[in-house]
Amino acid sequence: MRLEATELTDEELELQQKVRSWLRDRLPAGSYPLGLGMSGEIDPEFSRDLGAQGWLGMALPVEYGGHGRSAVERLIVVEEMLAIGAPVGFHWVGDRQSGPSIAKHGTEEQKREILPAIARGELSFAIGMSEPDSGSDLASLRTRAVREGDGWRVNGAKIWTSGAYEATHILALFRTSEEKHTGLTQFIVPRHTEGLTINKIPFIDGTRHFCEMHFDDMYLPDTARMGEVGGGWGQNTAELVLERGGVDRWMSIAPILENWVRSRAAVGDRAAEADLGAITARNWAFRGLSLSIARMVDEGKSPVTEAALVKEMATRFEQESVDTVARHFGRTPDLHSDDPYESLLARAILVSPSWSIRGGTNEILRSVAAKGLNKR
Amino acid sequence: MTTRADADLVSTVRDLFSQRCTHEVVTQAEQDGAAPEKLWREVAEMGLHLVGVDEEAGGSGGTILDALAILHAAGEFAAPLPIAETMLAAAVLADAGAEIPDGALAVVPPTADLTLSGDAVSGEAKHVPWARGAAVLVGIVDGKAFTAPVEVTRSGVDASGMPSDDVKINGTVVGDSSRDLLLDGALARSAQLAGAMEAIAELTREYTNERIQFGQPVGRFQAVAQHIVTLAQMATMSSLSVERAGLAALSGPAAFEIKALKQVSDRNATTAARAAHQAHGAIGMTQEYRLQQLTRRLYAWRGEFGLEKELAEDLGKTVAEHGSMHDVVVAGSEALS
Repeated sequence: MRLEATELTDEELELQQKVRSWLRDRLPAGSYPLGLGMSGEIDPEFSRDLGAQGWLGMALPVEYGGHGRSAVERLIVVEEMLAIGAPVGFHWVGDRQSGPSIAKHGTEEQKREILPAIARGELSFAIGMSEPDSGSDLASLRTRAVREGDGWRVNGAKIWTSGAYEATHILALFRTSEEKHTGLTQFIVPRHTEGLTINKIPFIDGTRHFCEMHFDDMYLPDTARMGEVGGGWGQNTAELVLERGGVDRWMSIAPILENWVRSRAAVGDRAAEADLGAITARNWAFRGLSLSIARMVDEGKSPVTEAALVKEMATRFEQESVDTVARHFGRTPDLHSDDPYESLLARAILVSPSWSIRGGTNEILRSVAAKGLNKR
Repeated sequence: MTTRADADLVSTVRDLFSQRCTHEVVTQAEQDGAAPEKLWREVAEMGLHLVGVDEEAGGSGGTILDALAILHAAGEFAAPLPIAETMLAAAVLADAGAEIPDGALAVVPPTADLTLSGDAVSGEAKHVPWARGAAVLVGIVDGKAFTAPVEVTRSGVDASGMPSDDVKINGTVVGDSSRDLLLDGALARSAQLAGAMEAIAELTREYTNERIQFGQPVGRFQAVAQHIVTLAQMATMSSLSVERAGLAALSGPAAFEIKALKQVSDRNATTAARAAHQAHGAIGMTQEYRLQQLTRRLYAWRGEFGLEKELAEDLGKTVAEHGSMHDVVVAGSEALS
């Protein structure tokens, strides 16, 4: 498959302007805590306001409260938010992944109950995949859901889950049989289910959105199951095209870059200008890749390998960009600086190694991509 | 909203090059220091060298996307032909309202040291690709298009063994031209670079699947597979970016897109060449094997019509003065106009 070039239509450009001007009013500079891309701050009120604009659950079906819009339109909205480091943390996972996944695999009841609330920005999801002994190797998951009457008894632990503490729901992958790949099933777990305890794990930059979850004899009715028993693996991999090929993979430090440019610190400094130019050129190229992937998804194609290729190089590029900005900053940025961009840069330095880990480590992605390329 | 190159044209051109630009043909062209006559005649009869130039102006018609697709294919097969040069020169002549002569044309690099005096253009130009063998040299100085007879002062070759000669210019203005040879050339070279990177990615993938070491195809070793991935990344990014810059050029000024494209492609070319040779091992370094014909083209083209470093400085200065990176990345040249 070759990625095909695409441009925005007039309607899409109009949406871009609308989002931009709404964000200018709703989030004036300095009025909100800056975030690094998808790790933006958790602000349920902002998420609800965004939902009221029709900009959440955009790709969800209209009959379930969604807006029946395209992946490209969603990209346009997301891009504008990431560019200013908007507080997207509350709705991010539900909007990007859990919602579309429930729309595809959920029961009628699940869709009716959950999707409209995701589109209104009222529900927040976290993804329960990784476990203490399983990171990118999901086939080795051990947390078990065992049949019991009309439901399931769950025991085990999940770890490295972003935002679980603040989430209203966890979309978790549990082992329901011993088969490596076909023994995994997805469940929608309400945050306050008895037997589920969630603890925060302080992150490297001092933030506390990273969590571990323990399931002690947690009971779930079968209505909490999402999709077929044993279908979890397949459902998960299908989710990955947009997760991996999206603009969020290279826009984590967009507000930092924007501030660097706006501050005019690079003007007249040849070395800084050269670095800035190289970063800009590559951002332009990555945007094209993300846009083409979204357009192809809208056309019913599934560029899985391309999405893996993009995520792998885009996350490395994000990290290199942090290094570059830091090098031109002139001293070690202060994590507690009064200048929000300085503290954001300090945080970016600390957390940037996580970018090539979350969503599948680069090493695993290279294996996935290599296999995909060899099948051609 | 999608516009693309004529699919029939693209497959015809790829068929032609895949049959005619064999390893032996390319090697022979290097030894001769000239394009294979028969192949060039075939290309010229099909009018491929004038695609992208309107028929009324003496071209073959088609859009810039068609022209880029031809150049992409030419890069893919390391075609030892002055197609890009002839296309560029013909576009300048057409723009100036001048006649396009038969045969191959060469372009005086925009960096050449030239003096315009009345209608006379004089000076010297170094490293002019495919100067020898061209019917005429074409260039632009101060918005004036000129032609000059070919006067080679030194015959040289570029990194890929193709003619790259120093010339003396005694030319005559043939009209006004608003074209920017640096941008046109950067776009053309980027298409060739992307084509070569696609071919290198494919060649390396095939080779590492066949080559057995330590009891299995080397491509199964993760360390080697990573090079395959790197190559696919460089090629995918470059090919798509060529099309995007082409689309932008089709609808308006595209200086930003083209410079960004060339900057990215030059860097990608270096990364791709390294990865391909590393995955191939020693055989890739030998002249008897195809890889070097392609990687040497990457080395030659990345240094023409804008250098990675200069383009980065230029882009950075532009963005820094504009005041917003997001704006420029999203809206491209439109944001800067």
